[in-house]
Amino acid sequence: MWKLRLRRRLYTRRVSGTALQRCWQVPLPYTSRDWRQVSFLVVDAEMSSLDVNEGELLSVGWVVIENGAIALDSARHYLIKAENSVGQSAVIHNLRDCELSEANTRAEVLTRFLEAAAGKVLVFHNASLDMAFLNSVSRREFDAPILMPCVDTLVREHKLLNRREVPIKSGDLRLQACRGRYNLPPYPAHNALLDALATAELLVAHAKHRSAGQKLSLGELL
Amino acid sequence: MSNADSQDPLSSPGAVGQPALSPELAPVAEFLQQTLPFNELPLSELYRTVDRIVVQYYCRGEVFNKSTAEKGLRIVRSGAIEIRDSDNKLLDRLGEGESFHIGGLNAERGEVQATVIEDALCYLLPDLAYSQLRESNRTFDRYFSGQRSRRLRRAARYQPEPNTMMQEVRTVMSTGLVTVAPTDSVQQVAIVMAERRVSSAFIVDGETLLGIVTDRDLRTRFVARALPGATAISEIMTPDPETIDAADTVFGTTLMMTQRGYHHLPVMVDGELAGIVTASDLILAKQDDPVYLVQHISRQKDVQSIRELVSGMSNLMVQWVNSGMRAQQVSQILTAISDAITVRLIQLAEEKLGPAPVPWCWTGFGSQARGEQLLGADQDNGIIIADEAREEHLPWYKELAEFVCHGLNECGYIFCPGGIMAQTDEWRQPLATWQKTVRRWATAPTPDAVMRVSIFFDLRSIYGSSQLCSELQKTMLEQASRNSIFLAALAANALDVKPPLGIFRRFVVDRDGEHRDSLDLKKRGVLPVTEIVRLHALAHQLPQVNTNDRLKALAAGKHMTIVDSRNLADALHFIQHQRIKHQCEQILRGKKVTNFLNPRDLPKMAKEQLRDAFTIIDEAQSAVRQTYRAGMG
Repeated sequence: MWKLRLRRRLYTRRVSGTALQRCWQVPLPYTSRDWRQVSFLVVDAEMSSLDVNEGELLSVGWVVIENGAIALDSARHYLIKAENSVGQSAVIHNLRDCELSEANTRAEVLTRFLEAAAGKVLVFHNASLDMAFLNSVSRREFDAPILMPCVDTLVREHKLLNRREVPIKSGDLRLQACRGRYNLPPYPAHNALLDALATAELLVAHAKHRSAGQKLSLGELL
Repeated sequence: MSNADSQDPLSSPGAVGQPALSPELAPVAEFLQQTLPFNELPLSELYRTVDRIVVQYYCRGEVFNKSTAEKGLRIVRSGAIEIRDSDNKLLDRLGEGESFHIGGLNAERGEVQATVIEDALCYLLPDLAYSQLRESNRTFDRYFSGQRSRRLRRAARYQPEPNTMMQEVRTVMSTGLVTVAPTDSVQQVAIVMAERRVSSAFIVDGETLLGIVTDRDLRTRFVARALPGATAISEIMTPDPETIDAADTVFGTTLMMTQRGYHHLPVMVDGELAGIVTASDLILAKQDDPVYLVQHISRQKDVQSIRELVSGMSNLMVQWVNSGMRAQQVSQILTAISDAITVRLIQLAEEKLGPAPVPWCWTGFGSQARGEQLLGADQDNGIIIADEAREEHLPWYKELAEFVCHGLNECGYIFCPGGIMAQTDEWRQPLATWQKTVRRWATAPTPDAVMRVSIFFDLRSIYGSSQLCSELQKTMLEQASRNSIFLAALAANALDVKPPLGIFRRFVVDRDGEHRDSLDLKKRGVLPVTEIVRLHALAHQLPQVNTNDRLKALAAGKHMTIVDSRNLADALHFIQHQRIKHQCEQILRGKKVTNFLNPRDLPKMAKEQLRDAFTIIDEAQSAVRQTYRAGMG
């Protein structure tokens, strides 16, 4: 957390007066806090390619975890106007160009995202991919990365399996495979919001099992 | 989607008063829509509901009780939860799609605790949203306002009025009236009635109805008082009789006659006498009435004509069930029919063989004895012969048995695969031999004996000296009730087949073979109940044989709580009804009648009720295990 604060300092002047600055102004929770007292923003994004240099963001969805539970009225889903044609990945995401043309601009969605993220800890399943895209948008808008604390359920699950000395096969760390270990149901559809909800459920299950009624600090999840 | 709904995606969804669920959450809504009673909600209300849901995850071992802060309705999305009362008695196991409200359960049933038995993802509908929904939607509210058992009870008891009862009484009245003058002598009137073969006459003056006289009036007001034959009929008539209008329903007429004890009612059209309706007119009104069928059986002259008469029985059953008849009544009637056929066959045999040499009794076993037969039943019967019978008497019984058993087989009651039939020598014995066999079985309950007992200990006299049957039953009850090893063996048998519910209340169906994805309602539902109830009845020396009667007697004798007794009766009736309805469908589709049902074919509510029924059976089995098999595993 102190590293984040240090890095934010480098950008203080650049972000002055932007949505990113307003987001940073809200104090972050202490890492010693129990996870149930922390607000998480669980996010998933869909992109047109897995390579941040080629692809662009197509949609973002998120839900909030508060008091260890997910309130569905916090669920949001935004389509982002594509600069290039969606092409091949439309098959994966069920997003067509015509749908995307009615969507929001990247800047609008980023602003909404930063408003929602203020004071919260971000959660992703495989954070590096999603964050790379979000940071690239942020750099273009504000000339600065997002610099928010992140929980990565994929990394957490990986560590958990390592600690239990379970041999990890390919696919074991995919979202649905992780959920299956906690008896979480499969979701039939595939979109940014539903994947965010699926990730949120995974985090709650993961944290509940690890804490087993005891305290589990935010630091142990980061 | 209307224009009002397709708002700017950037406007804040979920803001107060705005039904704006993200369409991306549709899978959550779809899940809810497949659960009771959310399936009853209109789509807009369902979407508003989803918006208020809080998703929670519980690890195995977590509990909810009256001190749980968040009451609310919890809908199980995955995992399983168990509900127990303060005595730790299992009330329910909930799986995917089922829900509980810990506050409501505690208010209704005392201290109830819910325990997570398999890691569970739950959708919590907070109390405020839950009560708002109950206030705004009646169907939703009704689902939660009763206990599970009450829900089942309603289903088992609901009985729509058959349509035939709603037809006008004019369709069944007789118009061949005998009318006499008030001054005619009683003797004259009696002669006319005898000639016309009617049981009533009207006393009229021109067009005006003065009174009615019936057979009974002749008996009680004339013969019994020894009046002279020349007495005027007006002296013994019932003056100004009550009448009904020809447009009244058969139902209303039946009601009036039974309530007031009338057997004859004049029927009026526009205030003028037009006909008469009698109690037997009402019974015979319906050609498909089972009473009619039973009466006809007793008039047939040979096996062939009986067979023709009952060949349409399966179609009749479809009609009865469609007109709203319940399982209990259907099986009662089907048993009455097989009784009538048996009796008629015996009479035909006696006509051929001459009278029996010594007293005897034709005894029905199993479902026929219990009055619980359905279509496709095989025959289970035997003969008890009085002990004074000598060797040379026995061939008469053998010949009779062979005639009757073959006749039954021809009429559709196939030979018992296990040979439990009067034509088998073993099942045609003098009383003393029967009693010896019973004692041997009771003291050495081999698996074979126990299996036979389960058929044979339900017995009922169908024809002949019922005294012999009672004697045998007395021996059975004495032997059974005092022999705990025997009862334990019977209990093991009753526990042998488990209700087809997995630990998470999913139906356990056959995975392959001819009846893939189906479950056997008879084997898994009906027989366990029958066996449990028989066991209790034998242990407490109850002479009743019908399962329902046994349950009532068990409750009356305080051997079972009234609630348990009713729950088991309802469970049995519900399963039997599903079985009968299923058989009717098979008949309509021209398929072979079986007891196999695919639970997926049931409507949601019936599926839930079937689950309830099996849960009740499961609990009854636990009770048996504790009472009769304590310490035996």
